[in-house]
Amino acid sequence: MSNADPLLPRLTRATAGGLRRAGLWRLGGELLWPVQAACLAMAIGGWVSGAGPLHSAALAAGFLAAGLLRSVLEARAARLAGETAEAAVAGLRRDLLAAETARLDRALSSGAFAALAVQKLPSLKRYLARYRPARMRVAAVAPVLLLLSLWCSWAVALILAVAGPLIPVFMALVGMAAKEASQKQMAEIGSLNTLLTDRLAMLQDIRLLDAGGRTERDFGTRADALRQRTMEVLRIAFLSSTVLELFSAIGVAMVAVYVGFSLLGELRFGAWATPLTLQEGIFVLLLAPSFFQPLRDLAAAWHDQAEARAVAEEIDALMDGAAAPIPGGIARAAPLPGPASLAFRDVRLMRGGHEVAVPDFAAAPGELVVLSGPSGRGKSSALMAAMGLIPVASGEIEAAGRPLGEDTAAGWRARIAWLPQAIHVPDQSLAAFLDPKGKGGVDKALARSASAEVVARLPGGLAARLGESGAGLSGGEARRLLLARAVAMKADLVIADEPTADLDAGTAAAVIATLESLAAEGRTVIAASHDSALIAAADREVPL
Amino acid sequence: MKPLLDVIRMIWAAAPGTMAKGALLSLATLLAGVALLGLSGWFITATGVAGLMGIGIAFDVFRPSAGVRLLALGRAASRYGERLLTHDATLRALSALRVTLLRRRMQDSWEALGRLRPGPALTRLTADVDALDGTVLRLALPLAAGTSTVLLAGAGLWWLTHWSLALTIVAVQGGGSAVLLRRLGRRSVPASIRAERRGQALLRGTVSTLRGQIDLAVHGGLAGRLRLLLGRAEKLDLAAARLDRMAERADAGLSAVTTLAVALLVALGGWLVQAGTLTAAQAAIPVFAALGLHEALAMMRPGMSGMGAMADAARRVFGAAEPSGGTGPSAPDPPGTGLVLHGIGHARPGAAAPVLEAVSLEVRPGETVALTGPSGRGKSTLLQIAAGLLSADRGEVLLCGLPLADWPEPALRGRLAFLPQRSMLLAGTVMENLALARDGLSRGEADAVLAAVALDGPLAERGGADARLGEGGAGLSGGEARRLSLARALLRRPAVLLLDEPTEGLDRATAERVLHGIRTALPEAAILCAAHREAERLWADKVFPL
Repeated sequence: MSNADPLLPRLTRATAGGLRRAGLWRLGGELLWPVQAACLAMAIGGWVSGAGPLHSAALAAGFLAAGLLRSVLEARAARLAGETAEAAVAGLRRDLLAAETARLDRALSSGAFAALAVQKLPSLKRYLARYRPARMRVAAVAPVLLLLSLWCSWAVALILAVAGPLIPVFMALVGMAAKEASQKQMAEIGSLNTLLTDRLAMLQDIRLLDAGGRTERDFGTRADALRQRTMEVLRIAFLSSTVLELFSAIGVAMVAVYVGFSLLGELRFGAWATPLTLQEGIFVLLLAPSFFQPLRDLAAAWHDQAEARAVAEEIDALMDGAAAPIPGGIARAAPLPGPASLAFRDVRLMRGGHEVAVPDFAAAPGELVVLSGPSGRGKSSALMAAMGLIPVASGEIEAAGRPLGEDTAAGWRARIAWLPQAIHVPDQSLAAFLDPKGKGGVDKALARSASAEVVARLPGGLAARLGESGAGLSGGEARRLLLARAVAMKADLVIADEPTADLDAGTAAAVIATLESLAAEGRTVIAASHDSALIAAADREVPL
Repeated sequence: MKPLLDVIRMIWAAAPGTMAKGALLSLATLLAGVALLGLSGWFITATGVAGLMGIGIAFDVFRPSAGVRLLALGRAASRYGERLLTHDATLRALSALRVTLLRRRMQDSWEALGRLRPGPALTRLTADVDALDGTVLRLALPLAAGTSTVLLAGAGLWWLTHWSLALTIVAVQGGGSAVLLRRLGRRSVPASIRAERRGQALLRGTVSTLRGQIDLAVHGGLAGRLRLLLGRAEKLDLAAARLDRMAERADAGLSAVTTLAVALLVALGGWLVQAGTLTAAQAAIPVFAALGLHEALAMMRPGMSGMGAMADAARRVFGAAEPSGGTGPSAPDPPGTGLVLHGIGHARPGAAAPVLEAVSLEVRPGETVALTGPSGRGKSTLLQIAAGLLSADRGEVLLCGLPLADWPEPALRGRLAFLPQRSMLLAGTVMENLALARDGLSRGEADAVLAAVALDGPLAERGGADARLGEGGAGLSGGEARRLSLARALLRRPAVLLLDEPTEGLDRATAERVLHGIRTALPEAAILCAAHREAERLWADKVFPL
């Protein structure tokens, strides 16, 4: 996806049909208000001219019928607009989730992306369902009501025509100030969230350092700064809605006063050939608030619009910085046939914006191959490329005798067990984590990786649920569990990133022995490491 | 509903004076709106009658028209004041609440802190607290002000017009709306709780999928996870749509109720005017007032449809366990020195095998004891017990001769420092990270402690203590981050120092320099160190195998 087509116009186009239909239903409802107003005006006129209770009752029935129909039409319009917006935003969320799941190297942290997809997307829905229809109403309803008023009295129409357009002018002026204030507020929210995330991740350290009081003071100061920023934004927002209310209230009051003076005969201008009648006076008085209502709705939805713009920009930026999707896609594939052999030829990889060259090497079944060298030389990237997770910039990787690429990567990965450096436990039981492919044999694998005792010490054993980064486990215990998982998968190829880092000599020796025994069974074992003991145990060392 | 009432009470109590003023202004705004329309309707009808009768000259136009202008301007001004006051009071209360919640979090047990997932915890402190701002602003205030407005308008109309018209407004318009809003509230509670839960499930699932993405991609689980996420998204959309539909139906219902009330008022008014009970102008007042009242009623709808989400957030925020309550604040006068462990035994709850059995040892001031043994033998567990973070199933820990349980938390942390295996750093400067350890840290002290842990060299090019670190301490190598955490512990100047593999990830020469630096910085401290490197064992005065 590219940024050639920004999100907001795209969404607007996609929903144009549904929102237009919703707009027409709504317009139908709003145009019933003049009918209702006419019923009221005639009924009150009838009281003055002594038309009798039946006259009132008939007009009340007319008012009721038109009003109920109006409620139905407006509810129908709101539902149509809501459903149109919901469908568009649901589709967008599906696309976002699918795109982000299928590529590594994203610009946003996982938490920020999740917040975008779950908590921020609804603002686009509000924009589509509220702001767009309000804009249509301003364009369609206000002129109709203005014309109806003009039909009764040009002076009333003049009052409305002058007060109405002043509202958007003032709103725009206030809006500019609001934008700046709200950017400051957003920045403050961002820095408060960063501060909190950092502090929440280190609560154990804070406890040990007795830094609770200091943390609380810092946070209190920042929270108060955020409150002040928020109040600045609100003050401007309230000011703008006050300006709007003021103009609409003054408009309505001027209409009322003008009509009153005309009816008394003290003002003789403004109506057409004949003086304003009581019915006409009440009619225009009832229309006046409705003239301002779409403008007030638009102002109320103004915030939705600003929010939606910010979210759309964020999504556009995310899609613009798109990394390449994982070669071969994310669907499960049948294992690639042939021997589990791997060969790198003239491979260069893009990592963090610069190219790294990987020396040529080959690994065949039964071999333990170690990529060695200090950190930062691209050992981990080479492992990613060996698993077909990132494409090569140039050169070729041969997997099972075939070039590793779009059509072979998924099948190749189906034969691999991956042993990462740090444990990441999804929100699932240890048993499910250790056996991702449901092959069974976890107990045997635990015994082979000397980790049965690790499980025995956990609350609930295999049913235990661990913290996301393996809290409750020491570094060595976590590594042994990861090794157990690699054994349990019975894969043809085992790829390990620094399998002995942070381990004591005894545990490291046990891990190396297990890796050697996996190779001895005819599996291909590739590890990135700078541990001399592991390098010594390897069939081949590839220095990077 | 109880947590919701607690929240409302708490927000109100934070600034009761401001809130009360805000509430009065809110009522004044609504009443002014009703009065403005009622007065305008009366004014026009009355002028129309006077005009027809040709007595326009005698009609007093100035007081009513001044009233119309006053109400119009007063209403706008009082709304502005109301919003400022109530929002300011609410934000103050919520900002104080956030601080309280963070404090409560910090008092959780050591293990709970380790299990804490920063994402959901952040949501508690931000989104959940934000969701509470509506409890007063959108729920309590509109309900109270709206209900009072209906009743006061009814009373006013009884006095100005006829009891039957006042009753129509209170019973049909007010009562009908109350029935609709009550029904909406009852139904939206489970629906919005469901929507919130589904949103949280999608949020958690997305974060967890992306964090474990490489693992899932290699092991073929990514497509399945995506399907799971899309399924959760669909369920979330369904729940949100159901809520929206309820709100739309309630809006339509409220406007139909007002329509019905106005129609009744017109029919009744015609009859009362014909009977000569009321003048036409008097009968017009309730018609216009009912139209004005609709605003007060419609204003209650958003709060009622959001009530479930608010109650749920309130339950999560206030339902959290109360803190265990720190022990007495007075610092004890310790009778002895050093650290004594006596007969310590420990097993994790529900686990088959114990981690530690009958461990006894003593560390005197100025002495260094190394705990050795393969990983998994309980070195870290023993250190956590000694640090008072975990309570042992059996045995006793004496710090300076006093059992740990007798130490108040701040005094304990003042005597005893612990460098665990995993520590975290802040985004910010090295100085800011060090300052966590002590108030009023001077630059000289910072430089000295950095030199003690052999960080002066690596940081020299980056500005020493002014060097900037990224999120979670990014920018430092593993070994450098470890030494910075160690420096923080040294700054506490503890009498007892517990170290869990302090030289992990350092080369031999640096490790020896750091170990020497620790002893030089704290010559009198009793040091207990979990060691698996030769350098650490050689550094110790005694070795204690586990």
